[in-house]
Amino acid sequence: MKKIINNRVIKGRGLRVMAIAASMLTLMTGCKSSFLDLAPISNANSENFYRTTADFDLAANAAMATLYTVYAPEGPVSYAGEIQSDNVTLNAVAGIQADKWAYRDYSINSSNTINYTFWQTYYSALYNVNIVIQKLDAATLNDDYKKSIRAQMQFLRGLYYFNMVQTWGDIPLVLTPITAAESYTYARTAQAEVYKQILADLQYAADNLPLASATTKGKPTQGAAKTLLGKVYLAQGDKTNAARVLKEVVDSKQYSLVSSYASLWSNANKNTSESIFEIQFIGGSPTTPFSEYYQTFFPAVSYTGYIGGGINQVTNDLWNEYETGDPRRTASIDTGYVDTKGVFQAVRFPKKWNDKATPVTTGKVLGISNFVVLRYADALLLLTEATDDPTYLNQVRSRVGLPAYGTASYPSKYNSVTLALEHERRVELALEFHRWFDLKRTNRAIPVLTAKGKAATQQRLIAPIPLTVLQQNSIITQNPGYN
Amino acid sequence: MKQVLWVLVGVLGLLTAQAQTRQISGKVTGASESELLPGVSILLKGTQRGTTTNTSGAFQMEITGENPVLIFSYVGYQTKELPVGNQTELNVSLTPDNKALDEVVVVGYGTQSKRTITGAVTSIGYDQYKDRSFSNVTQSLAGKMPGVNITQAQGAPGLSPIIRIRGVNSITAGTNPLFVVDGVPLENFNLNMINPQDIESVEVLKDASSAAIYGSRGSSGVILVTTKQGQAGKTTVSATFEYGIQKVAKQIKMMNAQQYIDYYVAAKNNGWVANGGKASDPNSARTASYRIPDDFLNNRQMFGNGTNWQDVMYREAPLRNAQVSVSGGTDKTQFLFSTAYLDQDAVLDNNYYKRLTIRSNIKSAVSKRLTIGANLGITGITDRTEGTQGKSDVISLGLQSTPIYPEYNENGNLGPLDPNSTWNKFVPFNDLVLWHPYSLTRFYHKKNRSFNTLGTAYLEFNILDDLKFRTSINANLFNNRGDSYRVAKQGYGYSSVLDAAATNFSTYSLNWLSENTLNYDKQFGDHKFTALVGYTAQKQRDEYATVGANNFPNDLVETLNAGTVSAGSTIASEWSMLSYLARANYNFKNKYFLTAAVRRDASSRFGRNSRWGTFPSVSAGWLVSDEAFLSDVKAISNLKLRASYGVTGNNQIPNYGAVSLLGSSNYVSNGALANGLRNTNIANPDLRWEKNNQFDIGIDLGLFNNRLNITADYYNTVTKDMLLNLPVPDITGFSSQLTNIGQMRNRGFELAINSKNVVGNFNWTTDLNFSLNRNKVLKLGPSGAPIIYTEYVVNVKTEIGQPISNFYGYVFDGVFKNQAEIDGYAHDPSTTPGDPRIRDVNGDGKITTDDQTTIGNYQPDFIAGMTNTFSYKGFDLSFLLQGSYGGEIVNQNIRYLGIWNAGRNFYEDLTNYWKSESDPGDGKHIKPTISPKGLQEKFSSYWVEDASFLRVKNIRVSYALPTSLLQKTPVRSARVYVNAENVFLFSKYRNIDPENTTYRPTNYNSISTETGTIGSTGNNSFPSGSMIGVDYGSYPLPRVITFGIRADF
Repeated sequence: MKKIINNRVIKGRGLRVMAIAASMLTLMTGCKSSFLDLAPISNANSENFYRTTADFDLAANAAMATLYTVYAPEGPVSYAGEIQSDNVTLNAVAGIQADKWAYRDYSINSSNTINYTFWQTYYSALYNVNIVIQKLDAATLNDDYKKSIRAQMQFLRGLYYFNMVQTWGDIPLVLTPITAAESYTYARTAQAEVYKQILADLQYAADNLPLASATTKGKPTQGAAKTLLGKVYLAQGDKTNAARVLKEVVDSKQYSLVSSYASLWSNANKNTSESIFEIQFIGGSPTTPFSEYYQTFFPAVSYTGYIGGGINQVTNDLWNEYETGDPRRTASIDTGYVDTKGVFQAVRFPKKWNDKATPVTTGKVLGISNFVVLRYADALLLLTEATDDPTYLNQVRSRVGLPAYGTASYPSKYNSVTLALEHERRVELALEFHRWFDLKRTNRAIPVLTAKGKAATQQRLIAPIPLTVLQQNSIITQNPGYN
Repeated sequence: MKQVLWVLVGVLGLLTAQAQTRQISGKVTGASESELLPGVSILLKGTQRGTTTNTSGAFQMEITGENPVLIFSYVGYQTKELPVGNQTELNVSLTPDNKALDEVVVVGYGTQSKRTITGAVTSIGYDQYKDRSFSNVTQSLAGKMPGVNITQAQGAPGLSPIIRIRGVNSITAGTNPLFVVDGVPLENFNLNMINPQDIESVEVLKDASSAAIYGSRGSSGVILVTTKQGQAGKTTVSATFEYGIQKVAKQIKMMNAQQYIDYYVAAKNNGWVANGGKASDPNSARTASYRIPDDFLNNRQMFGNGTNWQDVMYREAPLRNAQVSVSGGTDKTQFLFSTAYLDQDAVLDNNYYKRLTIRSNIKSAVSKRLTIGANLGITGITDRTEGTQGKSDVISLGLQSTPIYPEYNENGNLGPLDPNSTWNKFVPFNDLVLWHPYSLTRFYHKKNRSFNTLGTAYLEFNILDDLKFRTSINANLFNNRGDSYRVAKQGYGYSSVLDAAATNFSTYSLNWLSENTLNYDKQFGDHKFTALVGYTAQKQRDEYATVGANNFPNDLVETLNAGTVSAGSTIASEWSMLSYLARANYNFKNKYFLTAAVRRDASSRFGRNSRWGTFPSVSAGWLVSDEAFLSDVKAISNLKLRASYGVTGNNQIPNYGAVSLLGSSNYVSNGALANGLRNTNIANPDLRWEKNNQFDIGIDLGLFNNRLNITADYYNTVTKDMLLNLPVPDITGFSSQLTNIGQMRNRGFELAINSKNVVGNFNWTTDLNFSLNRNKVLKLGPSGAPIIYTEYVVNVKTEIGQPISNFYGYVFDGVFKNQAEIDGYAHDPSTTPGDPRIRDVNGDGKITTDDQTTIGNYQPDFIAGMTNTFSYKGFDLSFLLQGSYGGEIVNQNIRYLGIWNAGRNFYEDLTNYWKSESDPGDGKHIKPTISPKGLQEKFSSYWVEDASFLRVKNIRVSYALPTSLLQKTPVRSARVYVNAENVFLFSKYRNIDPENTTYRPTNYNSISTETGTIGSTGNNSFPSGSMIGVDYGSYPLPRVITFGIRADF
């Protein structure tokens, strides 16, 4: 009897063990890999992206959006084009002040944090461009579509490298997405080589981009590529090719000067007939891209609901550059603001991005104004530069009712086409991030800037390679004068 | 019939016997006759009748029944059972319990006796934190455990401390230990969700061998929290009430209005002179930034001393805490129910923290073989907590506000932006800015509500006598809702006048875990063998939703329906993990111990190519004192040697860190929004665990009848495949990539000494712990180049051969007092007298970026804690000293308060600034200027301060009411106590506390609200943990004094 009970117990135990072991096994083998394969829920991931035209439209838009950082009011083009020039100064502003003053005062050193940020801005933008180009090559899509997107990307790449080469001289030339390991093999490429690539990119863009139309607002066009190409040729001293492409822009009859200079800066009047390449904003709401030019260029004071940035504050020198009766001064420069007490405070600051009446949310002016990178007046002046023919310059002057170069009433102090151009570009394109690049391209930077007390030297016209970049990769060398 | 009669007689006899009660009294003593033991609990066996001895060790109680037996039990003494017989007086002596070795300690997936433990485990029982007033149990453990550095980075109620066990093992991945609550591993768990009064014990698994059973999550150590369970016997009702006062013990010395005006005027004039003007120029001759209010020059008395904004924002704040618990049970079923309510005002104006906790723990033996149980903890928190976000939060902004403005202007409004106030005339001076604390605390309404439910349900089945199966289902559900409403214009007290706006956000997080283990336990003669195998699956999902609205017509309705919804978003994120685990313990003659364990983990977070990781460990122990050759050495009561080696991992990286994510980047074309998507990071399909290899050797020594106990450990940890957000050349388009690269070593020594200095009526015990850790980076990225992370200008540099996160900057050698001094030293070209003298570290005669060097490190040389406890009769007094020596702290407030920064207020000692060559000040404070052109604002040793400190962290006094007083009441025992936290701090640090830091040990955030992406590392360019030791405007740690009363019924 006892034995039987024991047997039963043992048998019972055995069954239990088996049952539990079996249930554990079931648990273990169930749904193993799918349990662990969790794809991101709230972010798309790149594994299944870059396939359809819809994907590439999105990727190309993101690449275009890099214009927002490159041409930001405190971005690299603004700092180089204006703060390094004689057009503007700064208010004493928040942030690492010495690093900002250094741009104005030609004392940028390799540890300047702003200089490093600009380096990152450009290469991050280039990655967004390069990845589209690379993935396009691999995609099986309609050839025309591929060409059109590629041309847009190469336009951006040419534009960015052109700015960069003027800022830093020789730079690593990256034309495809690279891994961290590959990046250590990228030394600086000589300027001449970079220029070759810029020309190739812009030529491809000029050949494959569409003409301006109602549906190209905000996108690069053939006219944009050619205008920029003209400027690049000029920077290299190639007036022949510059004249050729710029003439094509003029002859295309796609663009014309608008009759009123002031109306160029009205938010009701975006993408005018004069606009060749214009960065687009919607504004008025924090959820759509809005521009920050107005607020950043507002004096550094506490105003209604926001604080101005105090950047690009107009110098007396620029103010005095305008000829008597030139309507462009009032259109370009604000002479003050009415404070919260109703008292007018006199101070000069940029007026071209006018968002005075734009909604303000949580301390931010949600700017509506666009930023024009290239406009027809610029192209006309470049054409004069390329041809020494003042006709085009005079078109720009006659629009604002000023006497033509070569006539008796033209100011005698600008007694050559070169000087006339220098003056005209300064007032026509004032505060639009051109001045320093113009002076540099025409080899006038040192005489002009030193005469105004700036410590500009040949070496200081090229920014240092940021210290972090040198530390990260020992094959990167420093520019002369910064060691 | 006869039988029936017998039965009746028997029953009667039984009844009479039961009814027969009599008195018994006596005394309980300890080892010696004179050592009277108070509070010994005495239970009549088989009943729930019991009493305790009074302060003179005497007891008196009624006993019933035949052959009554009394059970005497007392902490630290062996429990004794004595038959009473016919005696009416019983004097009992209890033997001190030297079997501390048989105490049960909770370890991963089980318990072990202290004797058999071969790893480095520290256990802290309820008694050690029962009177402390902290809402998070780990706060009470600071200074108590060697090798465990617990620092209270900020003092807001409900803010968890930073816990670092045996140094810092990672640069990029999080360094929070893993929390395991009642067996449920929870990453980055907020222990405020568990009421400390419900916690039986906290165990810290420090070495790899004890933590390896938690595999890929064990490398920063494991903290096991075990909640209380009822005991069989009489039902006990406990009630506690505490009342406390919190106060900011130290204010930062800031300038008053007059001192501020001096400095302001000097900064403007010096800036103007540097830009070519003259100090005597009137405002009309200056550009806007250099103008000075006329009142600063001609009417200074109108400002008086101005306002001390610290007086405005801080207050004395009360704290109330009430708790009731009921516990008890039978041999078969035990239970504990408790509820507690904490109502804590914060020292910061209008901030508070209220917490309700409810717990139900039940365990029942259904049959001989089957036991089931469930622990359920529910916590609800309502709070408003601000001031902890550092530079742009209330407390930091309050310090930055200029002192010239009054608390209220003549219209009763807060600030100068009030257009109808006479103070409005200062507004055009953009640099006279006020961030009135009330504009954020009273004109910004915020409320946060959190609910957390942690439930575990388990079933244990003894398949065989020595084979046990356990399965459990566990879940932690967290919900959080927050509302905020910004009152229009904020009383004109903020830096700008803003419209009304409201937001509402909610988070949801569900973590579930299924665990199945088999335990085998067998003794064969001298051989004892236990084994564990298990399988677990865990998954968590986080969701976040937010809605914002503006355009409110007025401030009457604050809910979003009154405004126009202007923004909204929802995001979600998940992770999952599968694990197998196994452990075997073997011991021979209860003297020789061997443990081996292994865990295999697979996590969704890691790259598909390297999803599984294996984490083995082995450890051994030898109880030398049980050997015959030591039996004659009377001094040694316990001696154990331990050694262990193991591998643990760190998985604290973003949920989708291995994948290249696409983020939105929109453009506009043809007047319409054009959606865009871009890659936000570089994919790394090989991303895997960081692995920690740790060796530990330790000794446990008990001397003189265990009057003196010493535990010492040495460890060496090498972290390999370090998870590093490796800075990569920016030409890739990115500044960093999450990579497994690099090696780091932590080496350290830990010592804990427990000494019963005096034993008897008067007892004095000292607990001392000491730890040091040396951290060194062995390998970094492919080029071995150092990694420098920068926040504003503060650099932390990690390089091979050095501890991580060295502060890296210039050496500030004071101020150039005159031109001659400048001419005699290397200097920046912009230098004029009064500017900083920067040391030419490389001696090349120039000041360049190469002159930056290591100027400090946060990690201390050593830390120590000491608790002294005195007891006499019912009185207990204990105090805890805690110290840290040899670390440095970066005072990042220097950016605002230590140099000119857009008119913010200054530290008071800046009044000794350089004024002129003939009045050069104290040589430590530079010439004020509003337009610094040189190195004035750059990171230098001016920013770095000594972080060494010694603090009286805690003092408590308690008194147990004598039982004689309580005899006629239902109260079985009662205690009153006073507890004081953060009593005194000895430190040179000029801000509040050198433990302050505004950075968290992990910037892994399952839901990152800043970027709108989920599971990202946030938009910082540096891992948050690398900046620990940088104080960017922290919330002060208040001094807290609580009075409490606790009674058991």
